[in-house]
Amino acid sequence: MDVNQAKQEHLLALKVMRLTKPTLFTNMPVTCEDGDLPGDLFSRLMKEDPSTVKGAETLMLGEMLTLPQNFGNIFLGETFSSYISVHNDSSQVVKDILVKADLQTSSQRLNLSASNSAVAELKPECCIDDVIHHEVKEIGTHILVCAVSYTTQTGEKLYFRKFFKFQVLKPLDVKTKFYNAETDEVFLEAQIQNITSSPMFMEKVSLEPSLMYNVSELNTVTSGERGESTFGKMSYLQPMDTRQYLYCLKPKPEFAEKAGVIKGVTVIGKLDIVWKTNLGERGRLQTSQLQRMAPGYGDVRLSLESIPDTVNLEEPFDITCKITNCSERTMDLVLEMCNTSSIHWCGVSGRQLGKLSPSSSLFLPLKLLCSVQGLQSISGLRLTDTFLKRTYEYDDIAQVCVVVTVVKLSIL
Amino acid sequence: TPPPAPAEVGSDQPPEALFQEENIDLDGEAFVTPDDESTSENMLDKLNDQMMESVMISDSPNNSEDDGVPDQDAPPKNIEGESTTGNKMQTESVQRPEDVPSPSSVGTQESPQDISKDTPKEETIPVCTIFSQGNQQKPQGQALVPDGFEPALVKSPSFSSSVETSNKVPPLVCQPSPSLSKFFTDNGHVNPASDFFDSFTTSSSCISVSNPNAESLPGAGAPERHLSSSGASSTPSATGQEPRTPTFFLGLSAPESPGQPTPAEATPPFAQLQAVFSGSDDPFATALNTSEVDRRYDAWLPSEDTRKVLISVATQQHSPVFVDRDSLTMPGLKFDNLQGDAVKDLMLRFLGEQAAMKRQVLTASSVEQSFVGLKQLISTKNWRAAVDLTGRLLTAHGQGYGKSGQPTSHSTDSLQLWFVRLALLTKLSLFQNAELEFEPFGNLDQPDLYYEYYPSAYPGRRGSMVPFSMRVLHADLPQYLGKPQESLDRLHSMKTVCRRILDNLEQGMAEDGSMITITQENRQASIQLWRSRLCRVMYSMANCLLMMKDYVLAVETYQSIIQYEPEQKAQLLSGIGRIFLQIGDIKTAEKYFQEVEKVCQAKGNGSTLSTCILMNRAFVYLSQNNYAEAHATFSDVLKLDPKNPVANNNAAVCLLYLGRLKESLGQLECLVQQDPTFYLHESVLFNLTTMYELESSRSTQKKQALLESVACREGDSFNTQCLKLVSS
Repeated sequence: MDVNQAKQEHLLALKVMRLTKPTLFTNMPVTCEDGDLPGDLFSRLMKEDPSTVKGAETLMLGEMLTLPQNFGNIFLGETFSSYISVHNDSSQVVKDILVKADLQTSSQRLNLSASNSAVAELKPECCIDDVIHHEVKEIGTHILVCAVSYTTQTGEKLYFRKFFKFQVLKPLDVKTKFYNAETDEVFLEAQIQNITSSPMFMEKVSLEPSLMYNVSELNTVTSGERGESTFGKMSYLQPMDTRQYLYCLKPKPEFAEKAGVIKGVTVIGKLDIVWKTNLGERGRLQTSQLQRMAPGYGDVRLSLESIPDTVNLEEPFDITCKITNCSERTMDLVLEMCNTSSIHWCGVSGRQLGKLSPSSSLFLPLKLLCSVQGLQSISGLRLTDTFLKRTYEYDDIAQVCVVVTVVKLSIL
Repeated sequence: TPPPAPAEVGSDQPPEALFQEENIDLDGEAFVTPDDESTSENMLDKLNDQMMESVMISDSPNNSEDDGVPDQDAPPKNIEGESTTGNKMQTESVQRPEDVPSPSSVGTQESPQDISKDTPKEETIPVCTIFSQGNQQKPQGQALVPDGFEPALVKSPSFSSSVETSNKVPPLVCQPSPSLSKFFTDNGHVNPASDFFDSFTTSSSCISVSNPNAESLPGAGAPERHLSSSGASSTPSATGQEPRTPTFFLGLSAPESPGQPTPAEATPPFAQLQAVFSGSDDPFATALNTSEVDRRYDAWLPSEDTRKVLISVATQQHSPVFVDRDSLTMPGLKFDNLQGDAVKDLMLRFLGEQAAMKRQVLTASSVEQSFVGLKQLISTKNWRAAVDLTGRLLTAHGQGYGKSGQPTSHSTDSLQLWFVRLALLTKLSLFQNAELEFEPFGNLDQPDLYYEYYPSAYPGRRGSMVPFSMRVLHADLPQYLGKPQESLDRLHSMKTVCRRILDNLEQGMAEDGSMITITQENRQASIQLWRSRLCRVMYSMANCLLMMKDYVLAVETYQSIIQYEPEQKAQLLSGIGRIFLQIGDIKTAEKYFQEVEKVCQAKGNGSTLSTCILMNRAFVYLSQNNYAEAHATFSDVLKLDPKNPVANNNAAVCLLYLGRLKESLGQLECLVQQDPTFYLHESVLFNLTTMYELESSRSTQKKQALLESVACREGDSFNTQCLKLVSS
C-alpha cells in the first residue's frame, strides 16, 4: 500500500491488511568467549536484546511476535482473515459511514462485513475497525471488494471502492486406489501430498464411509496397549512429501448379502482432512465422493468360503465354494472338475447343481488332493449353464501350501 | 519487502479490468472430453487398476453435504448477483472413474510394490480436474512464500589460486577509498599505523602472550615489502609502489628471515608490547599460570597433514621448513569502508539536512585507534564503524586491502581482529562479505594458524591461534547463505573434535592427547570449558536444523543439550514447544509445556519461571485462535514483570487481532517513548510501523518521528528496514 497514491479528495482512508498468524522472531546468535577480544560485549548485547530467550540466548527461536510481513499464500480450506480499517484523515466529523466488504469469487459474491448498519459519525483521527473471516471454498482468483459510503458535513454523499485481488491455491494432492479383497472387503489406499511450500501438521485424515460400509483405519500399529502411528512420532508433512493412508471397508451385513450383485459404480465415502500450519493456522478439506467400480464377476461368481492354507501331500482336504448368480435370469448349472498336473478333484464331475435364481447363491463343499509339494494353485472348475449352453471357467481361484506330512517328517 | 496487504489493484476502476483473469470456464474443464474417453478404454487393459486415481478435493466440508450426485450444470453466474446456496462447488467435483478393474485382477495379483513401479505412469493418465490450473501455479506459489531466511545473493567465487584473487575478482563492496589508502602511506598523519597495534591482551586478565622474541617479528607491513607475488602486478593497493620480489618458497617462519628491513612505523607497537610485559612483577609465575589457561583455551586437534607439518617445524627449528603455498593462510581485506549510517541517510532524505546534521555517531576515526576504541564502537552499536576500524588495524598488520593471497604471518591479535571483523559482518547480515573474507582461511586448519608454527615468536605455546568462537562463526556462516548442509558438515566435525578433547581429558591426558600432568582443579576447569563449547556447537546444529525445517532432528538436538545445560531446561523445553506450535502440532507442544511446569515446580517459584509458564500458555491460546485469552495471559505476565518487553509487544499484537488497532498502537507507542532502550527493537518497530500503515494515510510522518527517536539512540548498525520508510 503506497500512501502517496491514496486519493486525497476523500476524507476517509480505507486500509486492509491480511491477518495471517503472527510469526515468532528468530535471532541470529553470534557469540564469543570472555577470553576473546570483545570480552563479554557480545554476550551483554545479546542479553540486552529483548528478542532473545533469557537464560538461553543462543536459542534461535524467540518469543517475540511479529505481524505478518507479506500477504503470503492462501490455500483452499483455510480461513481468510483480514483487518479492515476506515480512518478519518480529515479534520471534520463525517456522518453515516457504511463500510461493506464483499468477496467476489468466480462463482459467487459473499458479504463478509460483521454488520451492515451505518456508523452515525466518525470524528477526526478516529477509525472504524472490522476483522473479517471467511473459510475459502473455491480455488482461483478472489477479489475483496471494499466499499465505503459517507456523508460530509456539507451533506455531500460520497462513495469509493477498493479492490484487493488474491489467488487461492490448492494445498493438497490426493490420489486414491482401491484393492478388492477376495471377500467383500475393499481396501482404500490414499496418497496425500503436501503441495504447499510450508510444513503441514496433519491433524486428522479420516474416511467417512458411505451408508453401505463400515470403515476401519489401518494407520496405527498396535504395540502393547497404545496404538502407534505408522508415520512415526512427528505427524507433519514437509513440502512435496506424500503420505499413504490405508483404510479397510466392509459392507454392512444388510448390504453384504447383496454384495454379489453390486455392479458398476458404488460410492465408498469421502476423505476428511484437517491440517494445521504456523501457530495453529487451520485448514480443512474433504474430497469428493470416492467412487469405486465394483469388480465385474460375469454372470456367475464363484468365491471361496473356506479353504485350508496348508495341506498334506496326497491327503484329501475340503473346500467350500459359494456360487452366486449375478445375472438377471435363472440358471441351470452343471459342475465339471478337471484335474491339473498337481490338483486332483475327488468326486463326480458333471453333476447337476440345479436351478439358481438371480441374486441367489448356493454353497458347494468339494474335496480334492494335491500330488505335488509347494504352493499350488487350485484350478479346473467349470460351470455350464444348460439354458444358454454357456460354460464359465474358474482357474487360479486360490492357493494352498502343500507339505509332506508331519508323521513322515518325524520318521525321517 | 512486499506490503502486508493484498496487492491493491486499484480503486474505482471499471470491474471488467479486474475480472479479466477470473473467468474460469467450468464446463470446458469439468467434463471428460471425447478424447479422454477413448484413451481410457484402451488403458483399461494396460493399466489394470494399479493406478492411483487423482481425486478432486471438492471443497470444504460445509459446502458439500450432499454431493453424492454431481451436478454437471454450471450455468455462468452473474458475478454481481447475490450469492445463492453453496452448491457451486459440486460442479467441480465431477470425476471420471478411472479405476475400473478388470475381472482377472481380483484377488492375488496385486501387491503393494506394484504401486511404486507404476507411479511414473500416473503422469500420463488424463486427469479430469478443474484444478489442473492449481497445479500449474505450484512453482509460482513456492516462490511466493518466504522461507524464513534470505536467499543467497551472491555466491562467493571459488578461487583456484589465491594469488590471483585480487586480480580476477573485483571486490564486491567497494574500492579502497582514496582517503584510506592515503592514510596508510602518509607517514605524517596524525594517527600513524603504529598506534593501532597495541594488544588487546593488555586489558585482558587471562590471556597474554609471552613472547621474548617479539622484536624479531616482522612488523606490520613488513611481509608486503618483502614478499609479493609475481601475478599481483595490478593489485590495487599501496603495494603498487613497492619493490616486488617474486618468491616461490614460502617457508616463512617469519622470525627467521634474516636481514629483513623493518619499516620504521611498524616497530613502536611491539615496543609497546614489550613494555606491557616488562611491567609484570613475577614474569615466571605469570607465564606458568597463563600457559595453563592458554593450553586450555587454545587446544585443538589439527588434521593429520597439518600435524605433520607442525612436527617438522618443531624438529627443524634452525632451517626453514618449506610449506606448500596452498596450505598457507593469506588473508586480506576484500573491501574497506562500509561507509554506512543508514539512519543518517534516511534523515537526510526525510527530515532534511539540518536534522541529519544533529545525528552524532562514533566513527572509526573518532575513537582511539586501538582495541579500546574498537570495543567502544561495538558497545555503542556502531558495528559498521567497528568493521572499518578492524580494517585499519588489519591493514597495519599487513593484511589490508588487496593483501589477500600474499604471504603474511599471524598472531593472536591479528586472528582476534579477523574474528571480530567477521563476527560483526555477520551480525550486520553482510554474509557475502564475511564469506569472501573467510575464504583465504580455508577450513581453519592450515599449519600457520597454529602456535607451533611460530616457535620463536611463541616459544612453547601450542594449539590453535584461531579462537574457538571464530570456528563456530565459520561453521554457522554458510547456512545464512543458503548452504545449511555445509554448516552442518562443519559443525559435525567441530563436535567430533570437542568430543575427542573431552575424551582425552577424562582419560587423564591433556586436551590434545599428550601426557602432561594437569592438576585436578585445572582438569575440571578444562572439562567444564569443553563441555560448554560442545554445547555451543550443538546449539548451532539445532539452530541450523531448525532453519532447514528438519524439525525431528532439531528437536532431538535441543533435547540433547539439556543434559549438558540443565539450568536451561525450562527454556529449552519451552523452545521445543514453540517449534511444535510453529508446525501446528498443538497437542505435542502442550506436552512439552507441561514438562516445563514440572521443572518450574521442582525449582520453586521464581518469577522468571512463572513468567515462562504464562508465556507458554499464552502461545497455546494464540494457536487455538483464542486471541482474547492470549491477550489476558500476556497481560498476566505483565502483572509479575511489568517491564517484560516480550509480553508487552505480544499483548499489543493480540489486540490487533481482536480488532483493537488504536489500543494496540497506543500501547506500543507508549512503550517506545517510555523505555526506548528496550523497545527500539527491530521487531517492535516493525510491528509499530505496520500498524501505522494500517491506521491512516499519514503513516510516513509517524514513521519519521520514530526515525528521530532511533537517531538519538541507535548506532550505525541499526537495521532501518523495520521502519519501512523506503519501499524496497
